[in-house]
Amino acid sequence: MSVAVQVNREGDHARLVLTGPFDLAHAMAVARAAQSAEGRLSGCRLVDVDLTHLDRIDGAGAVLLARLLDRLEDGQSAARIAEGNNPEAARLIALYRERRTEHPVTRIRTMTSLTRIGALAAQLPGKANDALDFTGRCAVALPKAAATPSSIDWHSLPRLIQGIGADALPVTSAANLLVGVIIGFLGVSQLGRFGAVAYVPQLVVVAHFRELGPLVTAIVVAGRSGAGLASEIATMKVSEEVDALRSMGFDPLRWLVVPRCIAVAASVPLLTWIGDLLALVGGLMATAVITQMTPRAYIRATMDAITAGDLLAGLVKTPFLALAIGLIACGQGLLTRGGAAAVGSRTTTAVVLAIFSVIVISALFTFFFALIGI
Amino acid sequence: MSLSRPHITVDDLRIGWGERVLMQHINFQIERGTIFTILGGSGCGKSSLLRYLIGLEQPQAGRIDIDGIGEPHRCEGVPPFGVLFQSGALFSSMTLAENLALPLTTWTAIRGATAMQLVQAKLDLVGLGPFAEHLPGEISGGMKKRAGIARALMLEPDLLFLDEPSAGLDPISAVELDQLILTLSRDLGITVVIVTHELPSIFLVADHCIVLEKEAKGIVARGDPRNLRDESVIPFVHNFFTRSSPRISAKQGG
Repeated sequence: MSVAVQVNREGDHARLVLTGPFDLAHAMAVARAAQSAEGRLSGCRLVDVDLTHLDRIDGAGAVLLARLLDRLEDGQSAARIAEGNNPEAARLIALYRERRTEHPVTRIRTMTSLTRIGALAAQLPGKANDALDFTGRCAVALPKAAATPSSIDWHSLPRLIQGIGADALPVTSAANLLVGVIIGFLGVSQLGRFGAVAYVPQLVVVAHFRELGPLVTAIVVAGRSGAGLASEIATMKVSEEVDALRSMGFDPLRWLVVPRCIAVAASVPLLTWIGDLLALVGGLMATAVITQMTPRAYIRATMDAITAGDLLAGLVKTPFLALAIGLIACGQGLLTRGGAAAVGSRTTTAVVLAIFSVIVISALFTFFFALIGI
Repeated sequence: MSLSRPHITVDDLRIGWGERVLMQHINFQIERGTIFTILGGSGCGKSSLLRYLIGLEQPQAGRIDIDGIGEPHRCEGVPPFGVLFQSGALFSSMTLAENLALPLTTWTAIRGATAMQLVQAKLDLVGLGPFAEHLPGEISGGMKKRAGIARALMLEPDLLFLDEPSAGLDPISAVELDQLILTLSRDLGITVVIVTHELPSIFLVADHCIVLEKEAKGIVARGDPRNLRDESVIPFVHNFFTRSSPRISAKQGG
């Protein structure tokens, strides 16, 4: 039997006869039948609802009928339910009518691309403010931490250095080795056209030591350890562990952020230095495979090309890149509010910001070195 | 589906992980339209038993039969019952309305104004009408549990499983939640299975109960909780219902 709301009207008195299944599976049909009946009831002063022929009813059907009756009564009609042999249906409709509350209209969020861009733009000032506020609080925390070393969780430092430094060694080494190979291949293919293959070792040294070594290492650490730090602290924040630290008198900045920043700042220069050595091996492999240059000649040329300036120009920026990664990851973690979804979104933001910051800081150093002639 | 058959029949169930047996020889029946509570001390396996009843785990031996559904762990498609997890388990990135709309839009063809009307009615039913657009992080623990119940009711189930619904709530919120459970059972005719150890809730809502004990690895008592409180001679059951501890009694006596 299909859903129907039959309207028998006599003057300003109407009788609604409901037939068929008024349940969740037929909710759309019930909604349409109710809407159609409502249109035919305008001007009625008394509406009797006959539930006798109702096949079955559940909460969904009862809600739609209850709202129909609410609207009729709002329109100055009196609604009466003739429950007949169906007192359960009458009770169910009454339950949803009694429990109705006044509330704002609900909607499911549907953000268009334009709305999303607008929402992101609107968040920018707040995010910049958060970042500046966090940096300021860290700057204040550092002298306090130096004055009271016991306020720092030194016990976690070896574990953190292991996680951020030693455990990252295979992936940063592989990345630097491959970058060395790439520079070697590029150098041979481009410089070889001018018969200048002998300058490939110098190209590898300058390009990798000064720029690519610190950048590649920092990007890998930002992606790997930045995500780890951000999600760890974000999870601590949403599970109220950070609040627990505060309640016990610990400053989360000193207890959590300082050791993590120290661990990153200690690890990244070492990883970069090891990565530099492996890039030289990568360059050697590429050159030895596709040119006549002997490994001995390559190594000699490399030794001649390496200068303290190139090595230091690269290594000096690594602590700054490391600090940017640590501060951004920890800061984003501490800014987390909400539940599991917030942890994910903060971690993503932390990685994106950390990688972007690493590139910007590296570019600023290059510009500065060029200005002072190093 | 028959009105005379029990809604749930548990027959010689054995549960556990690997070689480890958590509980065995579990037998009970739950009548349609009643409120049934699974009781026991912390760590005795109440919530684990619930996981088997809702089909998240497969029993080592024995059988769970839900009338009209069969064995719950073999169920696929539209969930045949509603479940409230201990924490509410609302999706934190969605508003309450979106949380409630999710099962509706996933499993039915209901959309648009009709869907929102049903969502709003369920929120009204649990007293959360004005909070439809709040995120779970913005409401209290008791409200999260009520929202969890509303979400569990979205597909109009005739069977509801509630894991510790009133644990951690203030007395007023707890009694409001208990009243809501009574309303759901009496007015909507829903069979409600509750895992709890909250005595006031048990005495207020439960029609029937089983008491589990860790050492016995199974059921040590069953019946009307009020009768068990007044008449049981089993020490664990007596202590459970009278909130007494043999260790404290021994210390005070000594």
